[in-house]
Amino acid sequence: MAADSDPESEVFEITDFTTASEWERFISRVEEVLNDWKLIGCRVGKPPEKGEYTSGSWEETSLEINFADFKFSITHHCLKQESAESEGVDEPEEDAYPLAMQDLLCMNNDFPPRAHCLVRWFGMREFVVISPGANCEAIVSESKCNLLLSSVSIALANTGCHVPLFVQIQQKWRRMFAGECQGPGVRSDFEIVHLRKVPGQYNHLSGLLDIFKNKIGCPLMPLPPINIAIRFTYVLQDWQQCSWPQQPPDFDALLTGEVGGVEFGKLPFGACEDPISELHLATTWPNLTEGIVVDNDVYSDLDPLQAPHWSVRVRKAENPQCLLGEFLMEFFKLCSRKETSEEILGRNSVEEEGKENSDITQALSKLTEPAAVPIHKLSVSNMVHSARKRIRRHKRVEESPLNNDVLNSILLYLFPDAALDKTDSSDVKSTQPSPGGKTEPDKDSEDYHLYNQLKSASCDSLTYRLALCMCMVNFHHGGVRAVAHLWQEFVLEMRYRWENNCLIYGLASGPPDLRCCLLHQKLQMLNCCIERKRARDDGRKNAASDGSRDKSRLAPESAGPAEVSPGKSWESWSDSEEEFFECLSDTDEMKEVDTENEKKTANKSKAEGRLQPHGKITLLNSQEPLYIPVTQEPAPMTEDLLEEQSEVLAKLGTSAEGAHLRARMQSACLLSDMESFKAANPGCSLEDFVRWYSPRDYVEEEVSDETGQTVIRGDLSARMKIPGNMWVEAWETAKATPARRQKRLFDDTKEAEKVLHYLSVQKASDLTRHLLPCVLHAALLKIKEEESTEDIPSVRKALQHLTSHASKLLRHPSPDFKKLEDVINQMSAVEAVVAIARSLKAKFGITKGEREEDGDELERFVSCLLEEPEVCVVGAGRGPAGSIIHKLFVSSQRAALLAPMEEETGRLGGADDRKAVPDFPPPAGREILLRTCVPRPAPFSKALPQRLFCVLMRDEFRLAGAFSSDTSFF
Amino acid sequence: MNEDILTTLKILIIGESGVGKSSLLLRFTDDTFDPEIGATIGVDFKVKTLAVDGNRAKLAIWDTAGQERFRTLTPSYYRGAQGVILVYDVTRRETFAKLDNWLTELDTYCTRNDLVKMLVGNKIDKEDREIERDEGLKFARKHSMLFIEASAKTRDGVQCAFEELVEKILQTPGLWESVHKTRGVALSELSQTGQGGCGGYCSLL
Repeated sequence: MAADSDPESEVFEITDFTTASEWERFISRVEEVLNDWKLIGCRVGKPPEKGEYTSGSWEETSLEINFADFKFSITHHCLKQESAESEGVDEPEEDAYPLAMQDLLCMNNDFPPRAHCLVRWFGMREFVVISPGANCEAIVSESKCNLLLSSVSIALANTGCHVPLFVQIQQKWRRMFAGECQGPGVRSDFEIVHLRKVPGQYNHLSGLLDIFKNKIGCPLMPLPPINIAIRFTYVLQDWQQCSWPQQPPDFDALLTGEVGGVEFGKLPFGACEDPISELHLATTWPNLTEGIVVDNDVYSDLDPLQAPHWSVRVRKAENPQCLLGEFLMEFFKLCSRKETSEEILGRNSVEEEGKENSDITQALSKLTEPAAVPIHKLSVSNMVHSARKRIRRHKRVEESPLNNDVLNSILLYLFPDAALDKTDSSDVKSTQPSPGGKTEPDKDSEDYHLYNQLKSASCDSLTYRLALCMCMVNFHHGGVRAVAHLWQEFVLEMRYRWENNCLIYGLASGPPDLRCCLLHQKLQMLNCCIERKRARDDGRKNAASDGSRDKSRLAPESAGPAEVSPGKSWESWSDSEEEFFECLSDTDEMKEVDTENEKKTANKSKAEGRLQPHGKITLLNSQEPLYIPVTQEPAPMTEDLLEEQSEVLAKLGTSAEGAHLRARMQSACLLSDMESFKAANPGCSLEDFVRWYSPRDYVEEEVSDETGQTVIRGDLSARMKIPGNMWVEAWETAKATPARRQKRLFDDTKEAEKVLHYLSVQKASDLTRHLLPCVLHAALLKIKEEESTEDIPSVRKALQHLTSHASKLLRHPSPDFKKLEDVINQMSAVEAVVAIARSLKAKFGITKGEREEDGDELERFVSCLLEEPEVCVVGAGRGPAGSIIHKLFVSSQRAALLAPMEEETGRLGGADDRKAVPDFPPPAGREILLRTCVPRPAPFSKALPQRLFCVLMRDEFRLAGAFSSDTSFF
Repeated sequence: MNEDILTTLKILIIGESGVGKSSLLLRFTDDTFDPEIGATIGVDFKVKTLAVDGNRAKLAIWDTAGQERFRTLTPSYYRGAQGVILVYDVTRRETFAKLDNWLTELDTYCTRNDLVKMLVGNKIDKEDREIERDEGLKFARKHSMLFIEASAKTRDGVQCAFEELVEKILQTPGLWESVHKTRGVALSELSQTGQGGCGGYCSLL
C-alpha cells in the first residue's frame, strides 16, 4: 500500500508491510497461529457420544501473542476423538456447517459434570480463546472489545477457519466471553450477559423463553418447537443426624500420662473433621418442550422429587485435618533439625548426670558416653530395670521434656522384659511370648516382607517400636526435645544392658540382618556383643562349679522372635564356653599354653574342643575318628562395616599381590579353624582337614593294588598341592589350639563400644532418618488395615504404588527427602480418601445393612461417589439412595427453618406441615438450556441452530447465547 | 578415562567349591586359564570394563569361596549386587543339586529383589558330562535366570555370559540408575482439587 511512497523503488512487485498498523499485525498473528494449529477449513467428526465430554480427554495448547505491547494468550481447547480420523476419510460435504454449530443442538452432553465453562454453555467440542495475558489488565472498554471482535472476525474470514474463536472481556472472574464462528454462508455469534441479580421478570422459565424468542426474532408462525433442558442444583451443607463419626483423640488423656502400653504401638488414623463439606444434588429434566411444564412467577411444575434424573456430587473439605498424615509430617520435619541432643536438651541435664556419676569406674565409657550409668551394680541378681532408677533420679530435673510417668511407660513398652521383677533375667527371656501375643507371622504374606522392601525392621522388633514411640513423643509430648530426651534414655538403656550382660529384648538373634535399616543392624550388633560377652562371663563364673549345665540355660534365650539357623546358633560353640577366656593382653600366657599344647599333641594325649565325629570317617594316619572341632564364629558385621571392609579389600587392587594380600587378610578364619581342627584331631594331616573343610579337594580314586584288590586311594586335588599355596601355608603355621584359647576373631568389647558411641552421637535429625523407614512401614500397614474394612479399590491401587515408590526411595543409599515428603503427602491423601469413604458410608447408612437388596445398590453408589466426579442416582428420588438423600434434605430443612425435630415428630404426617416446610431448600443454582433451529435473519434464510444457556444463582445471572444466521444476501 | 563409563555394576560369582568360579573370572578378565589356580579364601575381587550396546560399564566382580565354612562369611558381600553368576560343574551332579541351596541363600542375603541371575554350566570341555544342557535350561527357566554353558579352559561362552548379564542389567530399569521417577498418576488424581476461577474447568458451583 505504501510502495509508491518510496521514491527509489523500481521493483513494482514489492508489497510493503512496514507501515502496517498494530491492529493489522495482530490480525495476521492470529491468522498465523490458526494456520500453525491447522484449524483451517472444514472439519468432520461424528456427533459426540453421550457423556463423552466428561469421559474423554481434552487437549489444550497455548501461545502468547501481542497487540502492540499488550500481551494476550491464545489457547486452543479440543476434545480428543479417537474415531474422527477414520470417519473423516470421505470428503466432507461442501456446505457442511461448522462442527461447533452442529454441537449447539447436540443433546448428548448437556450439563457435563466437569468441563470448561464455554463447553458447558455452548456445548462445543473445539474452540479457541484469546484472553489477556497473566499480568495484563482486563478488556473493559466497549471500543476495545469491539476492536478485538473485529480482529477475530477478520481473522476467521481471512483464514476460513471453522473453529469458533472467543475473546475474553471484562474482569476475569466474570467469565465473560464474546466470540464468533464462521462457516460457508453461515455465522454464529456468541454473546454473554452477566448480572449480579436475577431480574424478577426473568426468574423463571417463561421469562427466559420470552428473551430467547425475542432474540431469535423468528418471523415464522407458528414458531418451530423449542427444546428445553433444565437442571436444578440443591446443596446440602448441614448433616443433621449424621455427625462426623470420628472422635478426635483424647489429647488430655495422653498428656496427663495416663497411657497404657497399648497406645504406643498404634498410629492415629482418620480425619478430625468431616472430610465432606457439601453434597450437591442435581435434578435434571433433560428433554422438555414448551407447554409441557409450567414455570412462572406464581407457579412451578418443577418439583425436584419428580425430576426424571438425579445426580450427586460431593465436595470434599479442603485439606481436612488427617491424623496420620499430620503425625508423619511432624516427625518428618525433624529430619531438617540441625541441633545435637545436647543443644536441644540444654547442658543442664547432662552436667547433672555427670556429677552424679562421678564414681564411674570405666574411663572408656566416660569418654564415649557423657551420661553413663553407674557400673557398680554388675551382678545379675541386681538386674531390675535400670530405667526406673534413672527415672527417680530425673525427678530432680524439673523441666525434662518427658515427665516420669510418660517416660516410664514408654520404656516399659520398649523393654517389656524389664517389667518382670525376676532376679534371673534369663528366665524372663525364655518365658517371654512374642510381643503383642501374636502368633508367628505368616512368612509368605506380603506384609511380612514389607520390612525387606522398605529396609525398615520387622513389626515386632525393638527398632520398629522405638520408631513409633519417637513419632508419638514428638507429636504429643514436646517435639524435638522429647525425641532427644527419649533417645538419651534409650542410649543409656543400651549401655546399661551392655554393661550388665542383659540381652536387648525384641531383636532377632544372629548377625545383623542386612535387609533391615542400619540402626536395627547396630542394635543387633550390640546384642551379638552382649551375647558373646555374657557367654564368656558366665563361662568364667561357672568354670569352677557346674559349667556344662549352664549352657542349657543360655541356649534358648534368643531374644524376641528369634530365627536361629541351626548351623549358626551360639549353642554350637558355647559348648565349652566356660573355658574360653579373653587373652588379648596376656600373650605370654598364651605362648605357654601353646607350647604345652604342642607337647600334648606330640604325645597323642587328650584332644580338645571336639564338637562331634564327622560321620564315620577316620583319620588317614590312624584309626581315630575324624572330629569336627568347635570353631569360632566369624565376626558379625553391619552394613557400614561391610562397606568399609569391602572397600579395603577392593583397594588392594586386582594384581596377583593384591589378591594374595586379600586372601591373607581373610585367612584368619581359616587359620582359626585349622587350629581348632588340629586340637580336636591330634595327629591329623592337611588331607584330613580338607576332607572336612573342602571335600571336593580330596580326590578319591579306585586303583587296584599289587594283590589285585581294588582299593580307594585318595589324594589332595591339584590346586591344594600347589607349593606354597595359602592353604598349605596356613596349615603349617596353625598350632593345635582349641577355639576357646584362640585369639578372638571378634572383639566384642571394642565393637560394642563402637556401637554405643555411634548411638550416642546421633542427632535428632539422624535418628529421624534412621527411623523413617519403620515409621513409613507402620503407616502403610495402618492404611492397609483401615482400608481392609472399607474396601476401596483406588486406595488399594494407591497403596501398591506408594509401597513400591517408597521402597525404591528407601533402598537408595541416600534417600531423596524431598521425594519422601511427597510420599507422606500422598499417604495423607489416601488417608483422606478412606475418611471420605467412611463419612459417606455413615451418611448413607451402609454400616447398618438393614435392607439387603438396597445395601448392594447403596454400596455401589458410595464407591462411585469416591471414584467419579458425579454419580447418577438410580431411580432418581424414588431409588434407595434417592430416598436417603431426600431424608437428609428434609431433616436439614427442619433444623434450619423450624424448632428441633423432637417436637415435630408427633405431627409429621400432617399435610400442612409439609407445605410449611418444603422438603428442599431453594435451588442453589438453576440452569436452563433452550434450543431450536430457525431461519435467521429472514424467513427465506436457512434454518440454523440457536441456543441460549441460562444460569440463575443467588448472586449471578448469566445468559450465554449462540445465535446463528445465514449470511448470504446480508 | 572414567568419563565415558555409564555405571559401575557389582557382580557376584557363587557356586560349590571347585566348579571353576575363579577360572571363569580369570578367563574373562585376563583371558588366561591356569589349571592350578588356588582355592579362593573368603572373597576375591576383579575389575573389568565392558562395552555393551555402546555403553561402557565398569564391572566390579566379586569371586567367592565355595566351601561350606566360608558361607558364613561370603553372604556379607551379596549386598548391593546387581547381578549374580551361579556356577555349577557339568561333570559333577552334586554341584548341580546344590543350586537350590544357593538360590535360597541369595534370596536371604540379597538386598534387592530384582537382581539379574545367570546360571552357568562350566567345564563343558570335559568328556565325562553328567548334566545335560537341557537340565540346566529347565532349571534356569524355572527360576527365571539367564542360562549358558561355558568352558573357562576353552573360553567357550565365557565372554558371552558376562556380556549377556550386563546387557540384561542395563535393560532392567531401576536396577542400576538412581531413582528418578515422577509421581504416579493414580495419586496425583487423588490429590487433585477443583480449580476455581476463570477459564479453568469448572462445574456450576
